[in-house]
Amino acid sequence: MKKYLLAIAALIVMGAAFAATPKDTYVYLQSAVVDSLDPVQGYDGASNGIIENIYETLYSFKKDSLSEYEPTLATSYEVSDDGLTYTFHLRKGVKFHSGNPMTCKDVKYSMQRNLVVMPGDSGAWIFGSVLTGYGDDAMTEAKRALGDNASKAEIDKFLDQYWKKIEAAVTCDDMYTVSFHLAKPDVSFMARLLFTGAAVVDSKFAIAHGEWSGTEADWKDWIGRDLRTSYLHKHDAGTGPYKLVKWDGNNVVAEAFDGYWGGAPAIKKVLIQSVEEEATRLEALRRGDADRVDVNSWATVNAKVKQMPGVKVWSDPKWSPAGAHVVFFNFNVQGENNPYIGSGKLDGNGIPRDFFSDINLRKAFAYCLDQDAIYNDLFEGHGSWYTMALPPTWPGYNPDIPIRKLDLDKAEEYFKKAWGGKVWEKGFKLTITYNAGNTERQTVAEMIKANVESINPKFKIDIAPLQWSDYLKAARAKSLPIWPLGWGADYADSDNFIHPFYHSRGSLAKRQNFKDPEFDKLIDYARTLVKPEQQAERYAIYKKIGRMAYDVLPNIPYPLQSPFIITRDNLQGVYYNSMLSRDFYWKDISKK
Amino acid sequence: MLNYIIRRALQIPLVLFVLSLIIVGLMQLLSPQQRAAAFITSDKQIEHIDQIIEKYHLNEGFIVQYKLWAKEVLRGNLGFSRISKEPVTTTVRKKLPASTELALSAFIPIVLVGIWLGTLAATHRDGLLDQVLRVVAIIGWSLPTFVVAIWLVAWIYGGLGWFGIGRLPNSLLIDLATSNFHSYTGMYTIDGILNGRLDVTWAALVRLVLPATALVIVVSAGIMRVMRSSMLDELGKDYVRTARAKGLPEGRVVYKHAWRNALIPVITMAGPMLGRMIGGIVVIELIFNFPGLGEWAAKAALQLDMNTLLAFVLLIGLIMATVNLLVDIAYVVVDPRIRYE
Repeated sequence: MKKYLLAIAALIVMGAAFAATPKDTYVYLQSAVVDSLDPVQGYDGASNGIIENIYETLYSFKKDSLSEYEPTLATSYEVSDDGLTYTFHLRKGVKFHSGNPMTCKDVKYSMQRNLVVMPGDSGAWIFGSVLTGYGDDAMTEAKRALGDNASKAEIDKFLDQYWKKIEAAVTCDDMYTVSFHLAKPDVSFMARLLFTGAAVVDSKFAIAHGEWSGTEADWKDWIGRDLRTSYLHKHDAGTGPYKLVKWDGNNVVAEAFDGYWGGAPAIKKVLIQSVEEEATRLEALRRGDADRVDVNSWATVNAKVKQMPGVKVWSDPKWSPAGAHVVFFNFNVQGENNPYIGSGKLDGNGIPRDFFSDINLRKAFAYCLDQDAIYNDLFEGHGSWYTMALPPTWPGYNPDIPIRKLDLDKAEEYFKKAWGGKVWEKGFKLTITYNAGNTERQTVAEMIKANVESINPKFKIDIAPLQWSDYLKAARAKSLPIWPLGWGADYADSDNFIHPFYHSRGSLAKRQNFKDPEFDKLIDYARTLVKPEQQAERYAIYKKIGRMAYDVLPNIPYPLQSPFIITRDNLQGVYYNSMLSRDFYWKDISKK
Repeated sequence: MLNYIIRRALQIPLVLFVLSLIIVGLMQLLSPQQRAAAFITSDKQIEHIDQIIEKYHLNEGFIVQYKLWAKEVLRGNLGFSRISKEPVTTTVRKKLPASTELALSAFIPIVLVGIWLGTLAATHRDGLLDQVLRVVAIIGWSLPTFVVAIWLVAWIYGGLGWFGIGRLPNSLLIDLATSNFHSYTGMYTIDGILNGRLDVTWAALVRLVLPATALVIVVSAGIMRVMRSSMLDELGKDYVRTARAKGLPEGRVVYKHAWRNALIPVITMAGPMLGRMIGGIVVIELIFNFPGLGEWAAKAALQLDMNTLLAFVLLIGLIMATVNLLVDIAYVVVDPRIRYE
């Protein structure tokens, strides 16, 4: 009996002593759960991190570069002089995982599928807004345009128009030439085409399995549909270097595609597993059962990961995430009975609606935000500094702008100047809000409160945590006087930061009633620079805008946690591209 | 007796109905915005919150929401699970076997360990062994499941590298996905045998050791305590004294006479024990990366996925009600004095 027990114990121990994954296999344990593998539906990192390896777009990122694109399913492209037509020459001899050849028909189908379905919770608006001019699905747009009581005939007429725009948006000049026709020139169109939503889908295969037929006949059935219930949600119809073997619950298994046009990658098998519990992920990494794991914060990296043998922490001070976090000022607060501005007057118990229209106040508040503390305490010294609301690695970022750090003397000086000295004399009371549960924004709010209140006992700041949805609703209603918020890029074009943050019609700037004709003029002009040879000029304008923003100070950019990647140390070829959902393509990595 | 069973069985649908009312009702305590926010997987989607509210009828009242759900359920459609991204019934079919495999592998050790230790403690009353076991039982009963689970993951798996976590080693998961391994029961231990892949069975068994151990630690302590006190009770009774007086060996007295009677209260424990076990499984599946029903339901609770939660609660309700009925029937079998009219 004892002999058997010993034998069993030996077997178990031998079987599990140190189980490094095989050399041709990549195992990644992530915290998030995959939402959908349909390129039109997938809009979160976990989903797109898989889609970007089993599907391909016409152009893709050249490793970690955000400005250089690599021809992928296309080999070259031209832009018409008016900037309205983009023509792509497709790569010949590309096969889908089904064996079908990739032609213009597939490119057209894939893009039009975005425009037809436009699921509200997807990224399809990225294409709709430039190709048809509509950011929502046809029914939602019809309701918006015609009101709730429109007759069926009116709606049908609207839908017909919508369909005509979809039809005109993409055309096939021949089997290997495709043209996109824009509703208006858009400098970011190329960057938009790199979003996974533009991935080319095997139209023959998709239609055969019950997806939209590609014609007007059934397009109305697909408007606004939740694609999580149709075939491509769980099945792959791509051309990518990997094909999906199985997505079952928490596991996604993929393997290298033999017929890939770009040659065979070093990693042949991939397992992506969702593991909720961080401690479990870390132990799997320690044991070599995973090649890469998600870790939540630098605090955990420093405390637990760094000392693990055989584990590598990839990080670089030059890396920055594809986002910007700032404190917004409202130049003219809206809303009846607004609870965030007290009495609504400069009487010591509130603030007037245009309180922050005085540059002295904006500067005074900026000097009260302790950016060093955010950098050192919140991110344990692993942060990226931001001089403007554009990630430092993006083209057009201006590193030569100073950053206002904590300086209570200067703050006092500006407070005394504000509103002709009335602010200093009367004092004020306002409320800073943040979304409940976000410790970073809570810290920012508390920091501002503590420092501002320390300057003058008549300065009073309340802090109010709000539910996410309430928070955004209040911001959209322009009723918040001052609030911290982040923005993540939708596509890799600097315009996706410059316009929302600094243009009076930008999605963020309009919530703060910020309007400066100088900014608008420059940003509008930059948007006309669509040709590849004009990009240097465009980026120079963005640098100038950064400089102007330092003086005008519509918002205070502050540091972000700098990114890191945790792997076993035998994994090679790792790089960080902030616009890829999972930082690098699987085809670029290998193992020692 | 048959009458009684039928009457009890008819109560089960009623229990399930009330349970579903409670869950849908609890959901209504949160604002439509809060529930809609739970649908969102990336920050950008928050811009579309009003569309989500409209699409899923989140601003409707209790009765409308309940009707919407019940209408589909009566057609056999339990809805779409936002957590597993597929229909609820598909997920239950896939995940129930995993949880069952874990529960079964823990069940026998739990009962054996609990009864054995309880008996030992009673027969060594107030001795050193009894004292030690009592302390162990209190610790086992009061330790939160997740603490036990994380210890086992960190020390046994992380520290020593034994056993492993997850249902199967990653290499086997890839292997099975790419080969034509047929899933007959969904339990890897049995499917391994049926497919002639004993390596799969063995690997699955090895992976069951840690989560099952965690369950044994947190569940069997309760059984042990009940077994100890009921055994002590029996050992103090007249018939035991008589048996001893007529010179029966102590082993026979304990195991032949007292033991069987002492088991009756332990059977009563089966219901609450199952409850604790299910609670334990939810946490243990999460921590041991063992994708079963518990892990699914835990995530659903965090993300307010009503369809998933309802399905889980109804399933557990059904299991609990059935087990309680079986327990009542078991009394009759074990103790002929009990009769139901």
